[in-house]
Amino acid sequence: MSTFLQACVNGLLMGGFYSLMGMGQNVIFGVMKIVNFCHGEMLMVGMYLTFVLYTFFGIDPYLSVPIVAVVMFLFGALIQHTLITPSLGTKSFTNLLFLTVGLGLLLSNGALVIFGSTYYTINTPYSQTYINLGPVTMALPRLISFGVLVVISSALFAFLKYTTTGKQIRAVSQNPVGAEVVGINVKSIYILTYGIGVALAGVAGSLLTGFYTIFPTAGASFGFRALIVVVVGGLGSIPGAFLAGIFLGLLETMVALFISPSYSDLIVFVTFIVILVVRQTIIARRR
Amino acid sequence: MDKKKAVRDYHRNLAVTAGIILLIFIAIPIFVKSPYILNVFVLVFYMSTLSMAWNLLGGMTGQNSLGHAAYMGLGAYASCLLVVRTGINPWLSAVAGMVAVAVVAGVIFYPCFILRGPYFTLVSIAFGEAIRQFIINSEFFGRASGVGLPYGKDSWIDFRFGSKVPYYYVGLAMMILIYAFMKKIERSKIGYALKTIREDEDAAAAIGINPIKYKIMAVVISAMVAALVGFFYASYIRYIDPELMIQAKSTEAVLPAIVGGAAFVEGPIIGGLIMIPLSEFLRATYSAILPGINMLMYAVVLLVVIRFRPAGILGWYMNSRAKQFVDERILKKPSVEVIEEVEMAGGR
Repeated sequence: MSTFLQACVNGLLMGGFYSLMGMGQNVIFGVMKIVNFCHGEMLMVGMYLTFVLYTFFGIDPYLSVPIVAVVMFLFGALIQHTLITPSLGTKSFTNLLFLTVGLGLLLSNGALVIFGSTYYTINTPYSQTYINLGPVTMALPRLISFGVLVVISSALFAFLKYTTTGKQIRAVSQNPVGAEVVGINVKSIYILTYGIGVALAGVAGSLLTGFYTIFPTAGASFGFRALIVVVVGGLGSIPGAFLAGIFLGLLETMVALFISPSYSDLIVFVTFIVILVVRQTIIARRR
Repeated sequence: MDKKKAVRDYHRNLAVTAGIILLIFIAIPIFVKSPYILNVFVLVFYMSTLSMAWNLLGGMTGQNSLGHAAYMGLGAYASCLLVVRTGINPWLSAVAGMVAVAVVAGVIFYPCFILRGPYFTLVSIAFGEAIRQFIINSEFFGRASGVGLPYGKDSWIDFRFGSKVPYYYVGLAMMILIYAFMKKIERSKIGYALKTIREDEDAAAAIGINPIKYKIMAVVISAMVAALVGFFYASYIRYIDPELMIQAKSTEAVLPAIVGGAAFVEGPIIGGLIMIPLSEFLRATYSAILPGINMLMYAVVLLVVIRFRPAGILGWYMNSRAKQFVDERILKKPSVEVIEEVEMAGGR
């Protein structure tokens, strides 16, 4: 029983990261209808950024979260402005897809060139602190990270729901032409959206550094799980993404607990295919 | 007739040019003895072929698969396991591997054809990863440690050589055959149907093209060619493991097509001929100091091409003065109207 509870908690804490990644991907996909295939690499960049801030400036990983968020937002906005917006005009879906794939290659191999393939970790005074809650043990960094990402998710939800800019973003995601007609600057919304999406991935990376190793391809598995979260949680739904992320985290730990840890990836991918196909079939039937 | 002669000359010039290019490729191993350079050429041949397989689905049909490494890997596994377990002739195992992969692509992948656009790409990634994870977890497939092919005396029957030259010629032949095959498809009814689906799937369905049927055809053919490349790769490297099927390999399979020009059957070959030697040179020279530099360069070229020459190198060439020069001075191409007039009048 205690192992089961422990697995639940672990799944929950990991699932939070999938949620955060999924939300970023969801905002980008929802607004521009393109899949950001370098989302996982953005997480990796956030990790290295936190690592650099910690090693060279002695900034605590959790204090660097706002810095990473701002830097990654600007980075995302720059990419959107210089690369993605011009290619959106060509209407070539293949090119747009491989633009983000190429960016992912650039970032992960750039990290490999700059930092090498060494696995780095950040050791803070509290990284080995554990909290016992009945039968369950939790590492303090995981707990803090989860708390922070719940706050960020809520803030994002409120931002999209209640602010004018948030409403503009939702308007563009529903109908870009209509939004343009009523006077919304669609291009700047695109820049904002991509910036927010990338910032969320970067923040997820920053929060991960407390207990996760940093290496050039660290983001790959998170990047793909973000896509699963988008598909399972539903387009444009922040609460849906949150729940889907938690579900995914729990699914992984349950498979690891009851079947075998080496099967968790296989089960995750197969579940994804099944959900995607079933969902599309239902949509097609309804038409 | 003057016009008739001009068109006939043009076609003769085209054939002579193609023949000269072919002769150069055939002659390369006679003059180049370095195994390193021959290895780069073999790489170009099979990666371009894999990219052509992708291009049938991605460039021609508009279905962007990111799981082609899985088809290649499955083909490699199917033929390798057959050879190791049953001792069957490798050439036969290649055919068996292609059939097995066609079945997997056509049957297991069947429900996924309902998915369009980005969803198709997502499912292709998940499908490829799922196959790789399945192999890692399967005792039958040798788990993560992979399968090795037996070494032995050089023999055409066992497709096994110590030298790289036979692989060079087989690889070249494979690339040319698949190129001719793809060219044939492009100009056939299937090719036009696939292009219609790429432009607008609903419109294609409205004019009587069954999109699902043609998409299955494209996926199955594409997967079979990828499986053939897998067989070639396994026979060449003589060892395969699940690393062969990682996501990055699927991406590598696409890059020559995008850089060369995905709208053209020749695109993957041109892209491969330019990118792979560059990448291999960088890897050989700098990988000890700067690992990842070759893929970094690959990514930069990819981004530059997509940003500034969205139609790829061939697309750029098609509208350039270089083509004008080649057409006018070397091939002596008559104007389009003249060619059409002669073809209408009943051949050259």
